[in-house]
Amino acid sequence: MKQQTKLSEEQLQQSRQVGTEHQATQPAAREFANAEELLRYDAAHTPVPPAIAQRLQKSTGELPQPKLAWWKRWLGGTNP
Amino acid sequence: MNEPAKGCEFVAEPPADLASPEFASLYAENSRAIYYLALRFLGDPQKAEDATHDVFLKAFRKLDQFRGEASLRTWLYRIAINHCQNLCRSWQDRHVFSNVDDAVWENAAAKTDSPLRVLETKELGQRIQKALDGLSDEYRLLLLLVADAELSYEHVGALVGQSPDAVRGKLHRARKAFAILFEKTA
Repeated sequence: MKQQTKLSEEQLQQSRQVGTEHQATQPAAREFANAEELLRYDAAHTPVPPAIAQRLQKSTGELPQPKLAWWKRWLGGTNP
Repeated sequence: MNEPAKGCEFVAEPPADLASPEFASLYAENSRAIYYLALRFLGDPQKAEDATHDVFLKAFRKLDQFRGEASLRTWLYRIAINHCQNLCRSWQDRHVFSNVDDAVWENAAAKTDSPLRVLETKELGQRIQKALDGLSDEYRLLLLLVADAELSYEHVGALVGQSPDAVRGKLHRARKAFAILFEKTA
């Protein structure tokens, strides 16, 4: 009877531990004040595919260097 | 629907050796905003990738025409919006709900002041996309632009051809419509 009690205490402790672990893995609810805030969060977690920069590198490499905007030329800028 | 791979707080890739340092910095500072607009406006990662490439290529070709009257971000958004809208016009099979009358949203029961609660962020992108797909092009664009913290209502108004007051009014309805649709995706 005593052993039974001890066993059930161990079981209880185990189940408490499992319960705690389960709670720890439960995702916390996130709240967003409005649609824009939600979209901002989503945008911050959406990476830009690196393939775009690689494709651009190839596409722009085949074109002549862009001229400076007229207002930059006017301000005395130089082409890089 | 395909979703692009999610990263934990995306750190911008150093721009590849693009044609000029000026252009590389233009890309580094704006590519995420333009890609995100294209992704959520078009609803397809591959098309968004193509569109972002085309938008920056167009910007590269027209860099000398940039007058400096608006910010570079606004200028790029203008190119991106025109590009995405042209693509949408050519796919007439999209936007099933795009003609839903404003009155539908006005009469629908939604607490616009209630926060949007999200329990699971894993499928968040798909839920957002579903909700945005149910909106008209105008509302979808408005929400995506207002979500960019760098743009004021004046900037957004200039991009969508509306006054800042009209933007505020439509934004209220767009938020409400989005909240209703987003709730349905749970």
